[in-house]
Amino acid sequence: MMDRSPKPPEALMRAIAQDLRPVRPSPQPLQLALRMVPLALLISSLILLAIGPRHDLSVLGPLLTWGASSAQFVLAITLVWIAAHESTPAGRLPRQVIYFAAIAASLVVVLVTLLTFSTSPAHEPLLRVPPRVNEMLRTSPWIMGFACGIGSTLAGGILILLFSRIFRNSLAIRPTVAGALYGAGAGLAINAGWRIACPVSTPWHALGAHGAAIIATAILGALIGRFSGSRRSQIGARRA
Amino acid sequence: MIRYQGGSLEAFQEIYTQLAPGVRRYLKHLAGESEIADDLLQETFLQMHRSRAAYNPKYAVKPWVFGLARNVFLMHRRAARQWAKVHESREDLPEFSVLPEADRLGSKDEIRRGIARLASDQAEALLLHHEWGFSFEEIAGMLGISAAAARARASRGMADLRMALKSIQRARA
Repeated sequence: MMDRSPKPPEALMRAIAQDLRPVRPSPQPLQLALRMVPLALLISSLILLAIGPRHDLSVLGPLLTWGASSAQFVLAITLVWIAAHESTPAGRLPRQVIYFAAIAASLVVVLVTLLTFSTSPAHEPLLRVPPRVNEMLRTSPWIMGFACGIGSTLAGGILILLFSRIFRNSLAIRPTVAGALYGAGAGLAINAGWRIACPVSTPWHALGAHGAAIIATAILGALIGRFSGSRRSQIGARRA
Repeated sequence: MIRYQGGSLEAFQEIYTQLAPGVRRYLKHLAGESEIADDLLQETFLQMHRSRAAYNPKYAVKPWVFGLARNVFLMHRRAARQWAKVHESREDLPEFSVLPEADRLGSKDEIRRGIARLASDQAEALLLHHEWGFSFEEIAGMLGISAAAARARASRGMADLRMALKSIQRARA
């Protein structure tokens, strides 16, 4: 065996010695994922306060409202937990787990949409706004779709900003995948709260606006992950 | 690692002294060239330093650093887009000691040649387990596969190595 110099080279030691400030060990993946819970709950509560809960809560019952939203929220935490594993060199999960989680998240969103619509096919945007605005939303439903889509994406963007800070030391070999996972988790967590406020349950609205917002946050997360991953490799190349 | 996270330079030196030779051989196996392996070794420890806050004491240090080395290699490969070139330019055979399970089957040179003939994923799992002593669970975490898949790759690698050795020995005879 030709094991060269078991002592670190001087250049490396100099680089290390330049920055030896103490750091705190990273929390476990589940603890990282749970860090989003307070902020996600705060954003969801603000949305509920601003828009008000949907008018057909009693028709849907607790299972299709709070139950379905809780399931989505748990799934969102799971996606971020997988992203945290993906960001750890020795803790990666099998690829099948990632595929399974992505498929499960998509199926849950579609299933909840269809169940909600079949139980209460609400298509009137009854909001706590002046009647004139409600009438405008009724005649131009795309405005409601646009508002829900953009609003959910922006709210999810706040969580993504939190994740991009939490995962700033990420060592993911596939940073785009890790970013897409926490982005999808952010979108799903926001949708879990937003769907309780949104008064429209038609599939085109739920999937076209809310579903599209989850896809948008996943893409946003993937782009941020890709950017920070390439930045990390550039810094490495420059320093080396 | 905890002492190193607390700011101890000596702790870093200890980690380097203990792990650098093995990591270098692993990188040499991945990259196929000593010069690239030496560069990647330094880059691995620089990355480790920059990301020392990302280490969680739940994980053993050795698989974490080896996993990091693998990441550094893959980043290098991606950046340079030289995957084919790296493998085509493999001039010398990888450096690793002869596997304990295989030393009865052939000479050191034959075993090295046999391993060089294996599929890269099988050779990697085989060496991580037999040469560097990682458990299949640790290999699974490093490669992003299940422990069963890691075991299957190493086992298929060993079977293929036996066949490769037979073919090398036949050719010599």
